[in-house]
Amino acid sequence: MPDSHVRVENVTFSRGTRRIFDGVSLEIPHGKIVAIMGPSGSGKTTLLRLIGGQLKPATGKVWVEDKCVSTLDRNELFGLRRNMGMLFQSGALFTDLSAFDNVAFPLRIHTDMPEEMIRDLVLIKLQAVGLRGASQLFPSELSGGMNRRVALARAIALDPAMIMYDEPFTGLDPIAMGVVVQLIRTLNQVFGTTSIIVSHDLQETASIADIIYVIADGKLIGAGSPEELFKEESPRIQQFIKGLPDGPVPFHYPARDFKEELLEGGDW
Amino acid sequence: MISSLRRVGQHVLLLLSVLGRSGEIWFQAVWRRPRIAHAPLLIRQIYQLGVLSVVIVALSGFSIGAVLALQGYNQLVKYGSESALGLGVALVLVMEIGPVVTGLLFAGRAGSSVTAEIGLMKATEQLSSMEMIGVDPLQRIIAPRIWAGFISMPILSLIFCVVGIWGASLVGVDWLGVYEGAFWSAMQQGVDFNSHIMKGIIKSIVFGLVVTWIAVFQGYDAEPTSEGISAATTRTVVYSSVSVLVLDFFLTLVMFNF
Amino acid sequence: MQMRTIEIVVGTFLLAGLISLAILAVRVSGFTVNPDQQSYTIVAKFDNIGGLVVRSKVSIAGVIVGTVTEIRLDQRTFMAEVAMEINSEVDEISRDTTAAILTDGLLGGKFIGLSIGAEETYLKEGDEIYDTQSAIILEELIGKFLLNQF
Repeated sequence: MPDSHVRVENVTFSRGTRRIFDGVSLEIPHGKIVAIMGPSGSGKTTLLRLIGGQLKPATGKVWVEDKCVSTLDRNELFGLRRNMGMLFQSGALFTDLSAFDNVAFPLRIHTDMPEEMIRDLVLIKLQAVGLRGASQLFPSELSGGMNRRVALARAIALDPAMIMYDEPFTGLDPIAMGVVVQLIRTLNQVFGTTSIIVSHDLQETASIADIIYVIADGKLIGAGSPEELFKEESPRIQQFIKGLPDGPVPFHYPARDFKEELLEGGDW
Repeated sequence: MISSLRRVGQHVLLLLSVLGRSGEIWFQAVWRRPRIAHAPLLIRQIYQLGVLSVVIVALSGFSIGAVLALQGYNQLVKYGSESALGLGVALVLVMEIGPVVTGLLFAGRAGSSVTAEIGLMKATEQLSSMEMIGVDPLQRIIAPRIWAGFISMPILSLIFCVVGIWGASLVGVDWLGVYEGAFWSAMQQGVDFNSHIMKGIIKSIVFGLVVTWIAVFQGYDAEPTSEGISAATTRTVVYSSVSVLVLDFFLTLVMFNF
Repeated sequence: MQMRTIEIVVGTFLLAGLISLAILAVRVSGFTVNPDQQSYTIVAKFDNIGGLVVRSKVSIAGVIVGTVTEIRLDQRTFMAEVAMEINSEVDEISRDTTAAILTDGLLGGKFIGLSIGAEETYLKEGDEIYDTQSAIILEELIGKFLLNQF
């Protein structure tokens, strides 16, 4: 399909003996905000790594802009990554570089721009996330939320066509969370950046996502806009959406009969 | 019987796979032509691994040289051969104690810090993000450290030997009264540059490579948790130290006995 | 720390390494860097050289004038043939000089001591010293001592 930015075709992937993906297919159109959600450990971050070419699927293909990611050589992959930004859960700023140098890093690697130009671009990006004043600080001197915002500035340094967000809302206070939501929305609306958000924060994600994919047990169990999903009847999706403690994903870890186990302990 | 054989076999396979993985990392990091742009990284690493180890190496060298002179004197004076003190201490330092003890100190100080640093970078996803930006962490993080270890170890070992001999001369000549001329002339006659000093340098180069290789791999392979990093750091120190000692035996065997 | 400072410190470190190497080479192993040192080679044959090795010293009256450069077994006479390089400045070693293999101290290394003779013709490049005294071998000494006792 000409309109998809990313296409995942029947991908399987295992880590050790665990099947993480078992024939998953999905499509991410240009310029949309797509959320990938699911229970913890369902391999959402792994999917981002497959799209970014850090991992190769066991079977199936991943297409980015009509290029098959797993067959690219080093140089082609380098070129592909120039057009992808990734925001990691912990920010993942380089601790030995200042905020300024962190944002300048992709610029220095991928372009031959003179330092004056890089300086201006870095300041613009930091201004966009509201941290221009903190450019000389080091990651250890910034709060968690600020770390993530600088990391976002770094992710957009090269004005990529696609940005992947790995758990962008986790562990942030409501204000910081609001800031990040706002930034993601702005980037998408103003620049038409395709945004892939991996999260299990339903509320925030549903408020900005155009499409939501729900992955559980290595399979795609739900797809559609937030409104469509809320109406989905499947009990698994209902449990996830409503946040029910018990349902298709059981509350109790498999164990013996409770009464039996208690009675075994003897009298006290 | 079969099950214990199987367990041994599993351990051997595990060891081989570890060796293979670490060799692959080492190979990928070092094989590609080093880029001039990475020179500042190398310089910074030589500072971290080499320069910051000088104090501990010099202090240890001085102490060991002095002790060797002290003990050596006590034994040699029984045979009236104190004039051979300089020669004995110099040979022992240059051929064995210098490279080996420097290797152990290097493993403890520089090796553990490299492992912790790389492990932490892995745990905080810095290595991943670097890869996603399109930079090969093997070239940018791993390679400079390997080269820095390769360069720093021999230099540290030489410093150890020089300071050690100086310490020995202070104890032997200035304190215990060994005749200065005999101390130095016996040493100069008996120590051969090619058969003694060069071999010591070769040892220190080998130790530098092995210690850095282990340190880098343990960090790269560490579990990205705090227990994982601490376990990896401990493994670096233990494996490096044992490797240095065992390799020393084999190197000595090959270099001096064949 | 500024990059500039780090560069300087690392440079010092590398320099320290080179200096250490030089110190070890010269002070500790007696490496002589004298490419202009003129020398000439003479030979001497011994019955037993004891522990004499290549690079052992050659001295006259206790002053070092040269080095042993080669030790070979002469397969016809089965004597050890020792070649030594003598400093060119020492050019008046008479032809009837004696070469003896001596020990430096009790546990020291072996060296060749030359006792100058009386002749007025001197040794030149390639000449041989005929009057030689082999190393004193401990076992032979004990043997002699025991024999003399009885």
